[in-house]
Amino acid sequence: MNIHINGNAYALPHENHISVSSALTLHFVEAQQSTFAVALNGNFVGKDDYDSTIVNNGDSLDVLLPIQGG
Amino acid sequence: MAINIYGQQLDSRLLIGSALYPSPQVMKEAILASGSQVVTLSLKRQNPSEKSGQQIWHYLQEIVQQVDGHLLPNTAGCKTAKEAVTLAKMSREIFQTDWLKLEVIGDDYNLQPDPIELLSAAEQLIDDGFKVLPYCTDDLVICQRLYDLGCEVIMPWASPIGTGKGLMNPYNLETIRLRLPDATLILDAGIGKPSDACLAMEMGYDGILLNSAVALADNPVLMAKAFSQALTAGEQGYIAGIMEQRQTAHPSTPTLDTPFWLQQTS
Repeated sequence: MNIHINGNAYALPHENHISVSSALTLHFVEAQQSTFAVALNGNFVGKDDYDSTIVNNGDSLDVLLPIQGG
Repeated sequence: MAINIYGQQLDSRLLIGSALYPSPQVMKEAILASGSQVVTLSLKRQNPSEKSGQQIWHYLQEIVQQVDGHLLPNTAGCKTAKEAVTLAKMSREIFQTDWLKLEVIGDDYNLQPDPIELLSAAEQLIDDGFKVLPYCTDDLVICQRLYDLGCEVIMPWASPIGTGKGLMNPYNLETIRLRLPDATLILDAGIGKPSDACLAMEMGYDGILLNSAVALADNPVLMAKAFSQALTAGEQGYIAGIMEQRQTAHPSTPTLDTPFWLQQTS
């Protein structure tokens, strides 16, 4: 399967689907030390739902962090 | 006097952004110098190997704690109600606040808010428990609709974001104040000079939200102080009651017993 995280492509040839939690390990080295929030295909996924929410082939994750703003 | 933001009484009427400063230290000093108790920030995609986002986040937390203030996440970059609603939920989870500066942009050239998408997003977010502070144009009817939806705070623009052009349409802004006397009105975007802020406060606006005017000044800390004083001057001028303009000149000095009045010349 192929997924995108923040626009970057990830190929997972041995998987049909994975959880959001597993997908985040592709993105973060130390996820637990970061402050972030997640959307899957443009829909918010709360932290309590990372394990139970499935990422399928072609899905897109956004992982957002705080930044300065006006 | 305090400003009322969804029942929270804050001493400072200045809301300030956290972007564009020459350094995090200058940002901190400027925000503290402004006296503001509300600091805006945002969410963006970032490479997790970059620590800058986390550092800024911790820095802003320290500042807000120091001034006993509030974070105000925005939805900058959103162009649809769906995007704004999703980003709002993500912000609420991270920042643990239901306050939201709602931005839904309809035009890339002047970053003008999209009124249709803005109303749709505001309605969904209010239903979901958010306390929405919508950034909108100076269109009276849009402001009225937002207020009717439950937005207790309305934030019309002075002029497009980052232009520093000041109050483009003073008549529109005065009319919004007149027609929405119970709304908390905060002028947002386009402020360039302290006198712009003072003018809005003299109209009876409740507060000012700005960023570029301070962050891009040669001396952001001094400019932050200048804006703080300008807001105070404008607010006090409004409360004191500004005299009505007159079409003709009236002497300030009493004319009774004017020297040489009707004196015959030889």
